[in-house]
Amino acid sequence: MAVDSLEGVFAPERITATADGIPTVGVPLAELLETIERVRGELGYSRFVDLTAVDRLRREERFELVYLFYSMTQKAWLRVKTATDGEAPSLTPSVAGANWYEREVFDLFGISFEGHPDLRRIMLPDAWQGHPLRRTEPLGSEPVDFTVTRRVYGND
Amino acid sequence: MAISQTDTDTSNNSDGRSGAPGFILSRLEDWARESSLWPVTFGLACCAIEMMAMSASRFDVARFGSELFRASPRQADLMIVAGRVSQKMAPVLREVYDQMPEPKWVIAMGDCASCSGVFNNYALIQGVDKIVPVDVYVPGCPPTPDALLDSLIKLKEQVAANSSNRHGARTAAGVGIVHDGIARS
Amino acid sequence: MATTEDRRELLTVNMGPQHPSTHGVLRLELKLDGEVVVNCRPIIGYLHTGIEKTFEAKTYVQGVVLTDRMDYLNPLGNNLAFALSVEKLCGCEIPGRATVLRVILAELTRLSSHLMFIGSMALDLGASSPFLYCFREREKILDFFEGISGARMMTSFIRPGGLAHNVEQAMADRISAFVEAMPGFIDTYEELLTGNPIFKERTEGIGMLTADDALALAVTGPTLRGSGVALDMRKTNPYCGYEAYDFEVPTGRVGDCFDRYLVRVAEMRESVKLIRQALDRLPGGPVQTSDRKVMPPPREELAKSMEAVIHHFKLWTEGIRPAPGEAYVGIESPRGEIGFYVVSDGSGRPIRVHERAPSFANLQALPRMTEGGLVADVVACIASIDPIMGEVDR
Repeated sequence: MAVDSLEGVFAPERITATADGIPTVGVPLAELLETIERVRGELGYSRFVDLTAVDRLRREERFELVYLFYSMTQKAWLRVKTATDGEAPSLTPSVAGANWYEREVFDLFGISFEGHPDLRRIMLPDAWQGHPLRRTEPLGSEPVDFTVTRRVYGND
Repeated sequence: MAISQTDTDTSNNSDGRSGAPGFILSRLEDWARESSLWPVTFGLACCAIEMMAMSASRFDVARFGSELFRASPRQADLMIVAGRVSQKMAPVLREVYDQMPEPKWVIAMGDCASCSGVFNNYALIQGVDKIVPVDVYVPGCPPTPDALLDSLIKLKEQVAANSSNRHGARTAAGVGIVHDGIARS
Repeated sequence: MATTEDRRELLTVNMGPQHPSTHGVLRLELKLDGEVVVNCRPIIGYLHTGIEKTFEAKTYVQGVVLTDRMDYLNPLGNNLAFALSVEKLCGCEIPGRATVLRVILAELTRLSSHLMFIGSMALDLGASSPFLYCFREREKILDFFEGISGARMMTSFIRPGGLAHNVEQAMADRISAFVEAMPGFIDTYEELLTGNPIFKERTEGIGMLTADDALALAVTGPTLRGSGVALDMRKTNPYCGYEAYDFEVPTGRVGDCFDRYLVRVAEMRESVKLIRQALDRLPGGPVQTSDRKVMPPPREELAKSMEAVIHHFKLWTEGIRPAPGEAYVGIESPRGEIGFYVVSDGSGRPIRVHERAPSFANLQALPRMTEGGLVADVVACIASIDPIMGEVDR
């Protein structure tokens, strides 16, 4: 479905065009589940593809949640985006496939999904502190011992 | 190409046997151990695929005696750490290593096992020698099966030289990990 | 009223992460009632490498190197998915020869991945010979990759803007000779496994996954096609010119392990057809885009043109700087739909790269496949999903 044909369904200021041609709809957090239901039901993008988050480092509503859906009939993707500070409603009760995706976003970004049946860390050990994919957290690299840097790091 | 860490203490007959028969027995023991190093299946990531290629028919590790990858660490004497070791996997690796009976050896296969390779970040143990003593490091990402076979041959030379005196392998980072499992730097 | 016969205790068995048959570091917590699996809980994260975070510290070309190591049985496919996303952001044109070579390399990678699948599935179920035969052919394909790029597995050959360098005709002829012989080899594997009563006993009717369940669990690839859903990105959303090739999408009927195996074997035959067609239409010409903001100018130009020197300098110091925005291109890996969601802010490093890993979603279907079955069938189910933990955990 081309971007312009979404204009009848969503308010035009909510639709953005992206470089890959996938129509993208931005909605406030409160309307997220309702929008997804429409997208999956009425608009026919029933197959859940992906869920991830992007840390936009904004002062408010710092994280952007990006949902990707696919229509088996129109053979096209559609993206739904929302912004949150750290909480979101869970999609898992209606889409079983979103289970591990939400756990991953919780683990790596710290966004908790209300209504998720089993929200625990999935990638990192259970006792891990912090959410590494937040852009305020460091990469965690350690200095590598090369002879040219020995004087710098004081190993010499 | 592999880099090997040889024991500093290479005294023969250190297992307490005396005289010529004792010497022959020691040599027999060394030969037996180096000819049938059985690795424990510890393929973690991409290097595991090249390790499997090494055990397939083109590179054929069977002719070196290591065709039998034992699933149980109790029955293995070699651990080839093939792949990147994440934070969650590190205690598992140490436990599997501890379950192996003495004498045991470790090959750190690939860049990730030697020094975490391309991934200098929060998620990986920066080199598996931080938790287990390593005998041979194999560079490569992944090392070709030829390189892994070369490391196996270097290990066999070490083993043949002195298999009963296994303790005190030093690590590349300079941390000496003593056999009782406590890492001291 | 509960009698002693009614009170059955469930036995909790831990499988993995160090296990010969879990296809990597997958841990399963199985609750068994005798031999029957009542509950199967996969626990992942044992190979979490922080690749997505590492992308943010690398330039786009350095990032290609990281993509190889995610689905490590499909390195060129990962490279391709990443390159396509970055190319959407850059908006550059890829020459015809590069596009056709990308198809050849992607299909060769699919062949090598499915060879590994057949070998390891057979090995898990107790047949040790197919493993050796499959690796014999896989070695031939890895020889091609080594001859083309220098590395057997992690080639990093498909980059944003085209390929790392050109491929010679002699190599194309060798690949052509290989694909002529390949259908015969596939017949050998089928002879060993497809009609084999022991193999069929262990895979037919095992691990049933209905199409509805599969779609609800975001399953894609041969795991989904085994359940009868003909979804293949190469057909539905063609890239790299796949719309011009003649090939079919095999599907299964019932969605058991045997169907998933048959789908992959049939896909190998289709890959052979695709490579043959691609080799027939391989044009000459360059394999890198002429957009100098994406690919460097040829070295001869550096002596003649100041602009070429500036482009070279910018690429080597800052790297590719795509326009701010985001892009996702979903392609077909041997495991399902793979795509890289790349978010750029206009600088030389992405602010977010996320891989839509097919095995991550496919593994969610494992409890559905194994619960209610016998514990010995768990191995067959895992093998038939063909997960790669490198992309599950990233």
